[in-house]
Amino acid sequence: MADYREMWRSLGMDLETHDLLCEALPEAFGGVYLTQENRPQGMDFYDFVVSEIHGVRPAELIEHRKSGGKVFGTFCVYVPDEIIFAAGGIAAGLCGGSQFWVPGGEKVLPANTCPLIKASVGARLDKTCPFFLAADMFVGETTCDGKKKAWEILANEVPIHVINIPQMKRDADIDFFKGEIMNFIKVVEDFTGNKITPEALGESIKLINDKRKALQRVYSSRKSAPVPISGKDALLVTQIAFYDDPARCAQMANKLCDELEERIQQKQGVFPENAPRIMVTGTPMAIPNWKLHHIIESAGAAVVVEESCTGTRYFENLVDEQGTTIEEQVKALAERYMKTNCACFTPNPGRIDDIVRLVEEYKVDGVIDSTLQFCNLYSTESYLVKKELVDRGIPVLHIETDYSDSDYGQLQTRVEAFLEMLQK
Amino acid sequence: MREELIEEFSTVREVNLMRIKEAKDDGRKVVGIYCTYCPQELVLAAGAIPVGLCGTSEAPVSAAEETLPRNLCPLIKSSFGFAITDTCPFFHFSDLIIGETTCDGKKKMFEIMQDLKPVHIMQLPHLNNTRASFDLWVDEIKRLKLRIEDELNTVITDEAIWQAVDMINREKKALKAIFDLNRADPPPLSGMELLTVVWSRNFSSNKEEMIGRFNRLVDETEYHSQELGKLAPRVLLTGCPVGLGSEKVIRLTEELGAHVVAMENCSGYKTLDLLTDTEASDPFVALAEKYLAIPCSCMSPNNYRMDLLNSMIDDFRIDAVIDLTWQACHTYNVEAYHVGKLVKQKGLPYLHLESDYSSSDLESLKVRIEAMLEMVEK
Repeated sequence: MADYREMWRSLGMDLETHDLLCEALPEAFGGVYLTQENRPQGMDFYDFVVSEIHGVRPAELIEHRKSGGKVFGTFCVYVPDEIIFAAGGIAAGLCGGSQFWVPGGEKVLPANTCPLIKASVGARLDKTCPFFLAADMFVGETTCDGKKKAWEILANEVPIHVINIPQMKRDADIDFFKGEIMNFIKVVEDFTGNKITPEALGESIKLINDKRKALQRVYSSRKSAPVPISGKDALLVTQIAFYDDPARCAQMANKLCDELEERIQQKQGVFPENAPRIMVTGTPMAIPNWKLHHIIESAGAAVVVEESCTGTRYFENLVDEQGTTIEEQVKALAERYMKTNCACFTPNPGRIDDIVRLVEEYKVDGVIDSTLQFCNLYSTESYLVKKELVDRGIPVLHIETDYSDSDYGQLQTRVEAFLEMLQK
Repeated sequence: MREELIEEFSTVREVNLMRIKEAKDDGRKVVGIYCTYCPQELVLAAGAIPVGLCGTSEAPVSAAEETLPRNLCPLIKSSFGFAITDTCPFFHFSDLIIGETTCDGKKKMFEIMQDLKPVHIMQLPHLNNTRASFDLWVDEIKRLKLRIEDELNTVITDEAIWQAVDMINREKKALKAIFDLNRADPPPLSGMELLTVVWSRNFSSNKEEMIGRFNRLVDETEYHSQELGKLAPRVLLTGCPVGLGSEKVIRLTEELGAHVVAMENCSGYKTLDLLTDTEASDPFVALAEKYLAIPCSCMSPNNYRMDLLNSMIDDFRIDAVIDLTWQACHTYNVEAYHVGKLVKQKGLPYLHLESDYSSSDLESLKVRIEAMLEMVEK
């Protein structure tokens, strides 16, 4: 990484501790990513972003702040980024994906809390992530018990607005969510000092839709056999999409797709055509959590689709662009976001339907349902996922894991046994 | 006399089992509930018998774990386990189950329970301080009324609701009077006695009878004379609900010579100050106001719980606070951070325990409780 120490210092970071992270990352990334063969050239951009992960994008965020703009840290695919960009703000997805931040979170949160939540809180409190310090406001939501209560603790540290996500999807609930988006508009307008006009919101709806379309295109390429891009690489594209500039994200993803589509034409892939095709479903994998994908792909199978927040849930469904008034646009936003199927909703049959549909679309041989530890929602819903898949004769493996490496060997064994079963 | 009364409370479950069976034979309906947020006034107004079904026994947990994750709250696993093994007669008798979205585990468990019984799920908002949340909750209470009417084939009139409101208000006042007995030092009721009394109300088929019994207990309880200098530490228990079968922390604390004088949890004092406004014009609005004010950790933020704890610590002359979280209950577990801060600010020892229904941690619980009690300055 180039020298960003001055910038980090200006953010009030704990440089000594942060150095340890900077030292560990290149090796971790190199071992997981750079050892892959025949990677698309379009991944160079993403490799560069990772190599400068705490430098190049944070520098842009700081520039934005210097010119009077605001940065909003978000933690969920239900947060409508469109509102933030329409007010001239920048939204950056901040979910923590490294064990490095977990002990910091455990200073204020119970050890028996989801690692994503602990890492997110720890990254801010320990001052070891520039993204967390560059955010002027955090946007929380009530998607799960752990997050809902963690915001109360973070509220002592940084301005935070909590969006109240409904738990059902009846018409009244979609109206309720519309109301929450209207509140959010007010909060963002007040915080940025910028009025959100229908024109600006229309533009940002298009901006985020374009990003979604580009990510959809990346995923579509993975329907081919042989698959032109590894699951690890596709996951990285999605992970970076959470905090990159949306226009650049779309541009780079589209550029990558040109190459991937060329590869498909030439029947060129990164795995043999008969390699087992795996779907990963469940809880999100925030950067730099590549653990499960690495285990699966090192065992010779290809991850061809993720039904998760760091996967299809992030970009499936577009916002209708026809609205010309704030009222119409907010309605379109509410309708689009309420199509996303997270286990926080009850009931959540849409997710099961999505899994079944994606199994078909991506010609999946086996599903690995992965839950981060202590996520009561996904771990309980795994019963229903398994039931449906077993009924349909689709092999499924449920695993529960965290960010540590302590269960690495055990996971490896279980995944290998699962893959062996698929090949029979 | 007092002992006899307490003894009566401990037989309520058994006696009412027979009564409820008879009532069922006579065509009365039974509605199973799992949470203090459930507006049981509507169940009573429908002429049905509400029964509390929260599992407090370890016995059915392993059966539940065949369906639910092992790493889930024991109360949820026990409740589901009783249901799936059909070993709880009260669940068995229930014509309708009312669930709420109070926590992630329950919310998802109820989806699976629907295969066993008709389950109606109320959507409880996450925040209780916004107009939109309030309106949503009013609608949910109205929706519950329609479901009960539909499921039990009955009509719920406003008049019947107001009658039930009056009855529940009187029940709360009577229970509060019982809890308030223990403001005295030494406390007239042990923690185990207190638990026996409050827990019994989950199974009663006759609320008026129970209210009468509660009031009698208050009248007939005598205060012990004080032996100054010999007073045992006075402990406040807060956190997740406790019932007979999951009372190990209360039992251990009292075996170690302290008094559990009060409980701020949903089986205890949490809701007892909250009465439905009988002057209101709309019973649904009045019920919504009362229920949404409940200081459960599922609400964010949950400031009223801190206020309640603060005043209970003073009113009950508390020497130490034990905060009990059932395993994998994230809302109480995370909120323990704020509770710990408050208790320490008040200069009292604070012990946060995370446990389940098993007896495997009894020794370590004992050691930790003992160590905390040693810190009490008396």
